[in-house]
Parts: sequence; C-alpha cells; structure tokens
Amino acid sequence: MSHFPNPDCAAELTGVQLHYPKGPAVLQGLDWQLRPGQVVGLLGRNGAGKTTLLETLLGLREPEAGRVRLFGQDALKLDDAARARIGYVPQQSDLFEAFTPAQLLAYFRSFYPRWNQAKVDGLMSRWDIRADQPIRKLSGGQKQRLSIIRALAHEPDLLVLDEPVASLDPAGRRDFLRELVGQVMDRGATVVFSTHILSDLERVAFNVAFLSQGRIALQAPLDELLDEVRAFTGSVTEMAALMARLGAEPLRRMPLEAGRERVLARLPAATALPAGVAAERVNLDDLFSELT
Amino acid sequence: MDPLHFVHINTGSTEPIYRQVIEQVKRRVAAGQLKAGDAIPSVRELAQALAVHPMTVSKAYSLLESDGVLERRRGLSMVVAAQHQQAQPTADRAELLRPTLQKAAAEARQLQLSKTQALTLFKTILDENTP
Repeated sequence: MSHFPNPDCAAELTGVQLHYPKGPAVLQGLDWQLRPGQVVGLLGRNGAGKTTLLETLLGLREPEAGRVRLFGQDALKLDDAARARIGYVPQQSDLFEAFTPAQLLAYFRSFYPRWNQAKVDGLMSRWDIRADQPIRKLSGGQKQRLSIIRALAHEPDLLVLDEPVASLDPAGRRDFLRELVGQVMDRGATVVFSTHILSDLERVAFNVAFLSQGRIALQAPLDELLDEVRAFTGSVTEMAALMARLGAEPLRRMPLEAGRERVLARLPAATALPAGVAAERVNLDDLFSELT
Repeated sequence: MDPLHFVHINTGSTEPIYRQVIEQVKRRVAAGQLKAGDAIPSVRELAQALAVHPMTVSKAYSLLESDGVLERRRGLSMVVAAQHQQAQPTADRAELLRPTLQKAAAEARQLQLSKTQALTLFKTILDENTP
C-alpha cells in the first residue's frame, strides 16, 4: 500500500506485518489510524495480538513489513520531542522494583520537558500510594496505579493503555475512568486502550476497534454500531435478497442448519427497518463475540 | 442538580448510552421532575460523574436541544426549555412507556405467558419498587 503519511494522525499503521519468532503471523497487513482526540477501545480475543499491536504502534517492535508513524514521524526513529508526547501503561509492570515511588517519579521527571507535579501529588494521595517504600512491596493494584500516574504525569498527547485496570477493584476502576474522562479526554488527548472489561470500554471508548485475524476488521463509534447493527436469521437466499434490499453491509455470516444462516449486518445510517422484517439488536458483548 | 444522580446508565445494553441519557431526561421532564429553566449538569460534570466520554453526553444534549427538551442559555450551560412549565398530561406520559411495554409484551409472548400471568408480574414489580 502506498500513500503519503497523514500528518493529521496521532498514529498511523500501514500494511503492518509481524510474525512471532518461528511462530504464526500476528499482524497481517494491518492498517489503522488514530486521529487526534479519538478515544479508541481495542477489542480482541486472548492471543489475537493486542499487546503486540500496541507495542508495534509504539515503535517497541519492528514490523517485517509496513510502516508505523507517530505524529507524522517514523515510530522506530522518534525524536525526543515526539517521545515526550506519549504515555504508556504496559500490561506487565515495568517499574524498577528497588526504587521507591518518589525515586521512580523523580527519575522519569528528568526526561520530560512538561511534568505536572501537582497532578502526581494529588493522584498519589487519592490513590493511597506511599511514596517512600520500595515498589516491590506495593500490591499489584498499587503498582498498576503507579504505572498510570507515571504515564499521566507529563500530560501526553497520545496515551496507550494495555489492560490498565486488570488489578484494580471496581471502585478503583471507576476512579481511574473518571480521571481519564476529566483530565485526559478533556485535554483532547488521543487514547487507545485494551481491556477485557467491556463495561469500562463501553463507557469511555467513543470508538471501538476489533482486531481479528491480524487486521482491524472494523473500527467505528460504538453508538453507531449499537444503533445500526442488527442480527437477521433466514435462508441463505432470503438473507442475500434482504441485505441488497436494505443496503446493509454484512459483517459476519454464521451458517445454521437446513440452508439457513444468521447474518450480523450494519444498516445504512438513520434508516428504519421496514415493517415485518425481524431483527435483533445487539450489545457490545454480542459485537465482541461475533466480530473478534 | 447533582450530576451523580442526574441519570443512571446501564452498560451491556443494546441501547447506546447517549440514548439512555436522552430517554431518562425526557421522562423526568414529562413527569415534571425537571421544569422550565432548571439547570442541568454541564457536559463535563455529567461525563465525569458517569465516567463516560464527554462526546457521548454532548451528543445526548444536542439531540435533546433539537427535540425542544433543553435549550442553551448564554454561554454553554443548558436548561430545561421554556415550554416545559409543568408535568405532561397522564396520557402523554403513559405513551412514553409504550416502547418498553411493547418489548416486554413481545418477550411475554415468546415465553408463552398468559395475559394474566404477565400483568400479575407487572403489578408485583410496580408494588415492589414503590418507595
């Protein structure tokens, strides 16, 4: 695929290919664009390659083919100014365990031209993290919170969150989401995150992206998908005629017995279903299980 | 208006969050709980209280504005529109319940419940939730 990089994208992946060493293909000609201010929830089954995709997006893995650009720059050769605009909460804690939180944050602070110490202090006290004991003594949830504080401290323009709330309890998750909504989204930052907790994703991800078979199979505003996607059931010939009549875009077909099938399809925006056509609405769980 | 208790949303629904906000505000205006000139939470306040994306709230507010339920005051704040001086007549309010009951009726038929069985259940539920 050849086109000019889009300077309006916070992140742009084009034709990205990646195999695990001696293993199967993970990303197979993947194209993906994140526009400034978009908040995108990344959905995919276990092992679909979400973490690999996020690491590739950040320039932490070099694809075998294709191109990754962040703020218009080659992700593998980012300059310090672009690097300072990125925040990342990895799935596995990568904090220096022998440091105290205070030492860790002071260390990171030295790398960033912008650093909001008031925000750091506020979150440290709100999230009840002691600044003066070694990180290895913190609980999993506290380490995850500290990792989030580290990623938010320099007010990044692009925030990448890989399962950021896996170790948090429901109250901790809600508080984290409020922080995201109130501070990060309010600033117009671009956010991409993966999580298995669909209810969290439904709240804050205005857009959802489905990773399936090494590609982004679909990315759209979740509101639009819930308004426009329906499940239809009937004979294969009936379904083909119905899709044509409705101008609907089939997203997934599942064969049933006796020449029948179930079709998940997206109706054109703002069209009502004609009377007499039976269809089921879907929720985010249905979309996840059928499109990933 | 306390943004934490202004509306409640359910995740996992087939109804997008912005529509849940719209329907609840409409019901509260129809019931006269919210009246002309009442201030409603700002987009930021409600987004943060619900922990939802601010665009979801602003989409709901814009649609409520174009439906004549809300109006924009000077600046960015929104209030309940001037025409909503009092609760709507009972018949109009009952009409707002129709879509939910139609859905319940369809499910009752699928479950092969009799009219009496379904109505008894509805009565029980109404009694249960009386504060």
